[in-house]
Amino acid sequence: MEKDLSQVRNIGISAHIDSGKTTLTERILYYTDRIHTIHDVKGKDGVGATMDSMELERERGITIASAATYCEWRDHQVNIIDTPGHVDFTIEVERSLRVLDGAILVLCSVGGVQSQSITVDMQMKRYKVPCIAFINKCDRSGANPFRVIQQLKDKLGHNAVAMQMPIGLEADLEGVVDLVTMQAVYFDGENGEVMRTEEIPDALRDEAESLREKLIDAASMYSDDLMEAALEGEVTPELLTEALRIGTLERDITPVFMGSAYKNKGVQPLLDAVTNLLPCPADVENQALDMNADEAPVILSSDAGKSPVALAFKLEDGQYGQLTYIRVYQGSISKADTIVNARTGKKVKVGRLARMHADQMEDIDSISAGYIGALFGIDCASGDTFTDRNSRLSMTSMYVPEPVISLAIAPRDNKSQNNMSKALNRFTKEDPTFQTYVNQETGDTIISGMGELHLEVYIERMRREYGADVETGMPRVAYRETITQKAEFNYTHKKQTGGAGQFGRVAGYMEPAEGDEFEFVNKVTGGSIPTQFIAACEKGFKGCLAKGPKMEFPVTGIRIVIDDGASHAVDSSEMAFQAAARGAFLEGYARAKAVIHEPIMKVVVESPTEFQGAVMGSLNQRRGIILGSQDEVTMCVIESQVPLSEMFGYSTVLRSATQGKAQFTMEFNAYRQVPQSIAEDLLKKAQEGKKNVA
Amino acid sequence: MLKKDLILRNPLRLLGQEDQYILPEGGIGAVLARAGVGKTALMVQLALDTLLREKNVLHVSLDDPVDKVSLWHKEVFHNMAEQYNLPQINQLWDSILPKRFIMTFKVDGFSVPKLEERLRDLTEQNIFTPQMIIVDGFPFDDTALEPLQQLREFSNRHGLRIWFSVRTHRHEAPGPDGIPPQLSNMDNLFNVILQLQPEGKKVHVKVLRGVDAEKDYPELMLDPATMLISRND
Repeated sequence: MEKDLSQVRNIGISAHIDSGKTTLTERILYYTDRIHTIHDVKGKDGVGATMDSMELERERGITIASAATYCEWRDHQVNIIDTPGHVDFTIEVERSLRVLDGAILVLCSVGGVQSQSITVDMQMKRYKVPCIAFINKCDRSGANPFRVIQQLKDKLGHNAVAMQMPIGLEADLEGVVDLVTMQAVYFDGENGEVMRTEEIPDALRDEAESLREKLIDAASMYSDDLMEAALEGEVTPELLTEALRIGTLERDITPVFMGSAYKNKGVQPLLDAVTNLLPCPADVENQALDMNADEAPVILSSDAGKSPVALAFKLEDGQYGQLTYIRVYQGSISKADTIVNARTGKKVKVGRLARMHADQMEDIDSISAGYIGALFGIDCASGDTFTDRNSRLSMTSMYVPEPVISLAIAPRDNKSQNNMSKALNRFTKEDPTFQTYVNQETGDTIISGMGELHLEVYIERMRREYGADVETGMPRVAYRETITQKAEFNYTHKKQTGGAGQFGRVAGYMEPAEGDEFEFVNKVTGGSIPTQFIAACEKGFKGCLAKGPKMEFPVTGIRIVIDDGASHAVDSSEMAFQAAARGAFLEGYARAKAVIHEPIMKVVVESPTEFQGAVMGSLNQRRGIILGSQDEVTMCVIESQVPLSEMFGYSTVLRSATQGKAQFTMEFNAYRQVPQSIAEDLLKKAQEGKKNVA
Repeated sequence: MLKKDLILRNPLRLLGQEDQYILPEGGIGAVLARAGVGKTALMVQLALDTLLREKNVLHVSLDDPVDKVSLWHKEVFHNMAEQYNLPQINQLWDSILPKRFIMTFKVDGFSVPKLEERLRDLTEQNIFTPQMIIVDGFPFDDTALEPLQQLREFSNRHGLRIWFSVRTHRHEAPGPDGIPPQLSNMDNLFNVILQLQPEGKKVHVKVLRGVDAEKDYPELMLDPATMLISRND
C-alpha cells in the first residue's frame, strides 16, 4: 500500500569509507522488520550485510553499487539508497543524491570529519539535500562525539547542534540522552530492539540541560512560537521538533544524533528523526527542462493527475533481467502504460513494476510521484527521463566527470569475447564515468574510468557476473597536449598532378586558450577565403586535435584564428581547404612550444601521526606536492597533489609503510604540465610502441 | 619576468631593508590587529612575496584547516595577479606551489618541540626546508613567553624569518609605544612589529617597530575589498 506523500521519505546514507554506513543500514532494516537476522560487513558468518548485494562488495567489505530498498517506520515509508563511500565511485553517490530528498551523513566518532565526508558534503550542497548527522562508533576507544560536532562546524561550516548526548562512551556506552524529550534512552534485548526510557542520570543532568538550552537557542531562530515558549520556560517537544524541521529543510541547521550501529545503540531515535526532521517529497522543489520551450525550467508538482516525469538513476543486470531504478517526480507510472524516453524519443510499454529491497523484490501496480521503484526490461541509459506522449520534459542532466585512466583489455578465449562485450555494454550504460572504445591502430579494447580501483572492480565484475575472463594491459594515463605560446601559420596546399587540381591557402595564428576548450575564430576579411570554405577549414583544424602531432595525445586548450588565405576559382574545394588547414596546424604547432599535460590527483592520506614522515616520503617519491598536513592529535591528514601516473599500486605501498593503519582517497584535481625528463621518457616509450606496432 | 614584476611592484618592499626583506635573517616579526581586520591577508602577502623570490615558506595555522589556508593563498594571489593584469597566472601559481607547505595544529596540540619534530620529518627526507615561517593563530597569553623564546632560538639557529599574527583587543589600551599589553613582557623578542589600524573605510599599515629605527617608513594601506597592500597616495 502506498502511503500519503507526507509519510514518505527518500533518504540516502552518505559517509566516508568505513564509518559504518552499511552496518547502520543493516540495523535500520532489522528494526523496521525488513530482515530478521543481522549480518555484518566482513561478517564472521560469511553472509555479509544485506545491502551489499554484490558478491564482490561482500568480499572487499565495501559498498559499490547503491542498492535501493524500502522499509516502514512508525507509519512512514522510508526508501533508502545505500551509497558507496569510496571516492572512485562518486558518480554513484552523485546519482543517488540527485534522487534523494534528504540524507543521513554518517561520521565516525573517532575519525570525525574525514576527507570523503567533505566531498560528500559538497555534493549534498550541490543538490541542496537537507541532512541530519549520525555520529557512529561511539563505542570505539577514542570516541568523542562533541569533537566531531565541532569539526562539522569548523570543517564543513554546518550549524551543527547536538540532539542527544551519550550516556557513557567507548566501552561504557549505555545509551543516549534525548535532549528534546529530556529522557535517557537505553537499548535492551539481544539486538537492542527494546527501547527503555528513564530519568536522566543525575551526573549528566546539568550537562544535558545546558546542551538543551543551546539546542533551543539554535532552533528558536526558525519559530517565533518556540522563542516565546522559551522565554516563558514552556518548550514542548513538538514545538522544538517543528522548529528544528524548518531549519533542517532550509539546510540552515544540522541536527546531530549519536550511537553505535554495531552495538545496536541509537538507531531507532535516528529513524524517528528521519520521519520527524527530513523532508517528504512534497517539501522539495524539483525542476525539469522543457525541451519544447528551449529548455525552459519547469517546476514539477507531485500531482498524480499530471503527465508523468521519472528519472532512471540506476541500471542493474540482476537475476530478474534488466532492472531500471526510477524516481517518479510528477504524475504516476503504472503497469501497461506507454512511456517515452525523452532522450531517444522511443516509446516503451511498462511491463513489470517492482519495489526493491537489495536483491529481493516485490511486484507493485504503479509508482506515484515521490516514490522510488524499478522497471523491468526497458532499454535505456542512466540519467534518462521518462515522460508520456504529451510532454517533452527532461530532468536536468547530471554532472559527469571525464575519465582519467584507461586500460587495454583482451578476452582470454572465445566465450569470454562474447561475454565481455555484453558486460561492457551493460556497464557503460550503468555508469557514465566508465567508457569503452576500440583503439583503431592496435585493435585493443580500451576501458577508461575514474581510478585504478574503479576499473579493477569492473574487471572483477566481468569475470564473476558474466564469466568473461580478460587479460589486462598496464593502466594508461589520459595525457593531453597543449601549446604554450602564440605561433603563426601560413600554409598553401597545392596539388597539380593531372586531373582536377587542389588549391587552398590558410594563414593566421594559434595561441593557448584557458581550460580545455578548442576555439576557432574566423577573422578573414575581403573574401580571401570564400565563406563556403570556412567550415572546411574548421573541420580540418578539428581533425588534428584528436591526435596531437607531438605525441599523439588529444590537443586541448587551443585557440585558432584565421585571418588570411587564398583560393583558386577552379582548384579550390572543401577538401583542399581541409588539407590546407591540416598543413597550417602542423606548421603552427611546430612553433608553438607544445607540451604534455598529465592528470594530477588530489590525494588525501589519513594516518596515525607516528607515520606522518613515512607517508610524506611516499608521496614525495611519487612526484607529489604536499600541500600541507593537519595535526588532529592522534591522527594527521596529509593533503597532496600527485600525478595519476605515479599512483598505481599506492594502496599496497601505503599499507606496508603504515602497518595498514592509514587510508587514502584520491580524486581528479587538474591537468598540469609533465616535467621535461618525464616527457622525454614518454616520447621514448611512444616511439618504441610505434616500432612494435610496425 | 612575471615573478620579477610582482616582486618589484609589491608595496611591502618599501618596508624592507636593502635586501628588501622586512625581517633580518634569524629575526621574528609580528602583525597586530583586532579580529577581522586583515592579519591573515597581510601575512599571506608576506608569504607570497617570499615565495615569488623562490624561497620556501611554511605556513603554520592554529586556527584553520589546510584547505582554508590554501584558499587564502589562492585568493590573495589571484587578486594580486588581477590587479597587475598578469597573463598565464596558473603557470606562475603552479611554479610557486611546491615552495609552500601548510601545517595546521589544534591550538592545544601545538608545541615548539612538536613543530620541530614535524619539520625534521620533512627536512631529513629532503621534502621541504623552510626559509620563512608564518605562524597564524598563536595564542599570546600567559604561557606564550617560553615557546616564543624557543621559536626565536629556532629562527636564529636556522637563519629563518618568522612572522606571527597577534590578535589585539579593543578593551585593552596599548602602551605609549603602541605595543599591546599581551606583548609587554616579550616585545623585546620581536625585530619588527606592524599594526593594522582601521580608520574609516581604510586600514592603515603602521610600523610600530622597524629594523631601522631612524628610517621614516612610508604609509601603506590594506584595501578591505581586495585585501591587498597599496601605497597611501
